[in-house]
Amino acid sequence: MPTLQFSFLIDRLSAFFILLISVVSVSVAIYSVHYVEHGTHDGRKNLIVSFMNIFIASMVLVIASSTMFSFLFFWEIMALSSFLLVMTDLEKKETGKAGMFYFVMTQLSTVFLLFAFLFIYNATGTFNIQQIRANPAVTSVAFIFLFVGFGIKAGVIPFHKWLPYAHPASPSNISALMSGVMIKVAIYGLVRFVLLMHMELWWGILILVAGTVSAILGVIYALKEHDIKRLLAYHSIENIGIILIGIGLYVIFVVSGLQEIATLAIIGALFHTLNHAIFKSLLFMTSGSMVNATETRNIEDMGGLIKRMPYTAMLFLIGAVSISALPPFNGFVSELMIFQAFFQSAVLANPALEMLLISSLAVFALTSALAATCFVKAFGITFLALPRSEEAKKAKEAPKLMLIGPAILAALCVVLGVFSFQIFGTLGFSFPIPNMLLIGSLLAGFFVFAWLAMRWTAMKKERIAETWGCGFPTQNSKMEYTASGFSEPIVTILKSIFRTQKKSERTYFDDEKVIFKSGKAEIHLMKFFEERLYLPVVNFVKKASLIVNNMQRGDVDLQVAYAFATIVIFLLIIWWLA
Amino acid sequence: MNITLLIYGLLNVVFVLLVSPLFISIIKKVKAFAQKRKGPPLLQTYYNLAKLMKKETVYSENSSWIMRVTPLVNIAALLVASLFVPLLVIPQPTDLVGNVILFLYLLALAKFFMALSGLDAGSTFGGMGSSREMAISALIEPVIIVVFAALAFAFKTVNIPDMFRGALASNVLVDPVLILISISIFIVIIVESSRIPVDNPETHLELTMIHEAMILEQSGKNLMMLELSNAMKQLLLMGVLINILIPWGLTTEFTPAAILVSIGAFLVKAVVVAVIIGLFESSCAKSRLFRLPGLFGLALFLSIVTLIIEVFA
Repeated sequence: MPTLQFSFLIDRLSAFFILLISVVSVSVAIYSVHYVEHGTHDGRKNLIVSFMNIFIASMVLVIASSTMFSFLFFWEIMALSSFLLVMTDLEKKETGKAGMFYFVMTQLSTVFLLFAFLFIYNATGTFNIQQIRANPAVTSVAFIFLFVGFGIKAGVIPFHKWLPYAHPASPSNISALMSGVMIKVAIYGLVRFVLLMHMELWWGILILVAGTVSAILGVIYALKEHDIKRLLAYHSIENIGIILIGIGLYVIFVVSGLQEIATLAIIGALFHTLNHAIFKSLLFMTSGSMVNATETRNIEDMGGLIKRMPYTAMLFLIGAVSISALPPFNGFVSELMIFQAFFQSAVLANPALEMLLISSLAVFALTSALAATCFVKAFGITFLALPRSEEAKKAKEAPKLMLIGPAILAALCVVLGVFSFQIFGTLGFSFPIPNMLLIGSLLAGFFVFAWLAMRWTAMKKERIAETWGCGFPTQNSKMEYTASGFSEPIVTILKSIFRTQKKSERTYFDDEKVIFKSGKAEIHLMKFFEERLYLPVVNFVKKASLIVNNMQRGDVDLQVAYAFATIVIFLLIIWWLA
Repeated sequence: MNITLLIYGLLNVVFVLLVSPLFISIIKKVKAFAQKRKGPPLLQTYYNLAKLMKKETVYSENSSWIMRVTPLVNIAALLVASLFVPLLVIPQPTDLVGNVILFLYLLALAKFFMALSGLDAGSTFGGMGSSREMAISALIEPVIIVVFAALAFAFKTVNIPDMFRGALASNVLVDPVLILISISIFIVIIVESSRIPVDNPETHLELTMIHEAMILEQSGKNLMMLELSNAMKQLLLMGVLINILIPWGLTTEFTPAAILVSIGAFLVKAVVVAVIIGLFESSCAKSRLFRLPGLFGLALFLSIVTLIIEVFA
């Protein structure tokens, strides 16, 4: 068929995303050389490597596609290859659930995209993506389908549920690719189509609100998570939210005719896409090394790894500082650009819209600060103080290639942050953002200055002593603050969001309830979206299929009766229509 | 980079370094007077810092290099941040320093490392302090950002020196909108400098403390750097409040006479603010940790009201 053709076009936007995929893939590939050796099945190792390459190639081809047909074709290859990669450890029970969740959600995403593409084809008469450009026939219906389709793949709340299942279940190099790169392909799709279509104001508002909600809920769910990889998965949801905030601002500003701030917002969003790909893959890979070394994903069983895995610790710290948006690293610069777009929105003529932006800004600020809190926890509990388990005590530093891969990305975190001003200058953008090279040099300069000043003037004597154990003769890891303890203040303050239920039972020796005998306390956090949104749908489908099942008894007479009834109903309908 | 910018930078950094401990003492003194005590001498904070320099530094055997670099990161971040808030003289318009978001995140960088070092020694107190400090600073963050967004709206700039220039050029004595936002900034100062009712700077080894628990394992020169950077942070935030609300005496001219006048004016105004902080601290009790969101809610409400006025005005 002439219309169903594969054709490719690489413009600046797709080149940018291909660059993003390539950078992350190179580093993940280096990391994988040693990482895959951790598995046991030889055949399965080969499968991981081959599927990984198909997966990477399909992502590049999705982005290079210039027709919707080839876009969807490679999109589906991407979905299937990543599904097979998620299922690597298929013996584990959680993998089955994760795979199921992922498969259903990813197919749902394809269905929505298919509808959108058919609608667009109907309107424009061609599958060529570039032909959409400002075609008035391509209306908001297409946008809604595209938004849901890409939203599912990107993990926008409430379509996010597959992320926290699929990421922990899959091998860490695959999580790095999926979280770092694959969800960015969905961002690419959204940006590509929205930029071409004739935008309306409410699209921007929808994207902004969805982004804000994803950002704040993502980080709030991450805070209570103790599975290191699930914690990172929730942070992906948060960062996708931040990217969507930037895209939403872009649409709002473009529709309002403020091209300059709009450019700042979209470039901020795209820069954050790149930055998130880099530091999230870095974090997933280093956490993979930690999981290999300690044989657990629970951060409560780690601790003290900074002495046992010093290089991994350094790399993870760089990722943590970048994702917490602290200067002078890359995460800060892109969030600064989005913040600045908010700050300059005073020129908007619409007060109601302005109030929406301010609320979104406040939530965005909270998100960013909670992310820092969460990474103090993620780094502090896992790497610092005393080991919390025997496995953590015996942990060994990761092999060389598992350090070199992430190290490339860590270096990029620093370079993209410190040289951001110069990079944008070279690309021809002159944004009013601070020159991070200056700030970075000043920080380093003052750091060295303070160090030298202390060396020359202060008392040099240093002593190593034990931490005061509150009177106990020896201090052990049970006395350290735990991850649950660390997030407890936030969980209590935000209990209406977590739907926390605290239960405690106590028994006493005496009737006066004075002498404590034993007790039990538990904190239950509700999985809101799973319990209120996903399960009702699942239960409805189950019930409906049960009814259908009961109707089909395999009884020939009954089947004939059904057929007769159907014919009668059809005849009636035809008669009524005529 | 021109010569006046260099002079401005040196002047501001040195002034902040020299003067900031004084205001810690003044607040202590005011609180002591309120309790009918004599209180420590005004130079006591300087003596304490000098004493800490002469003490040996004790590290926990559990701790790592995080503990060792934290004080240096803190002091470096605060020294850079002190370039962003002109206390005496406003430099020529420049994009190099002064971005308000960068200023806030430099403070966040210092706090991030401080919280990590709280967990480093493996003591319960340090972890508790870090956990509470991060929770509180996360909750106050929307207030801080909205406050500065309101200032950015009011002065049409994201640059702190330009905001001060705008405040100085305003022909009204005190802008009523700015009074409203000053209350929010005041609450931010209370929270960020760990004062009552949020935290108690006086206690050691009490369950109520937050900031002090976090730096409990620090000693010697490292503790000195952390205390100094805390004093600097307090002075910088006071500087924002003063130069937005009452910028009288602040100058844009690089002449010795003008700078001397502005030093005098700033010290007088800052002493007044410190006295108010001391009286405020004396007049209320430490509130429960989980009551704090209410206070933050008030600050957020006031700053959003300011923004609404800015938007509709």
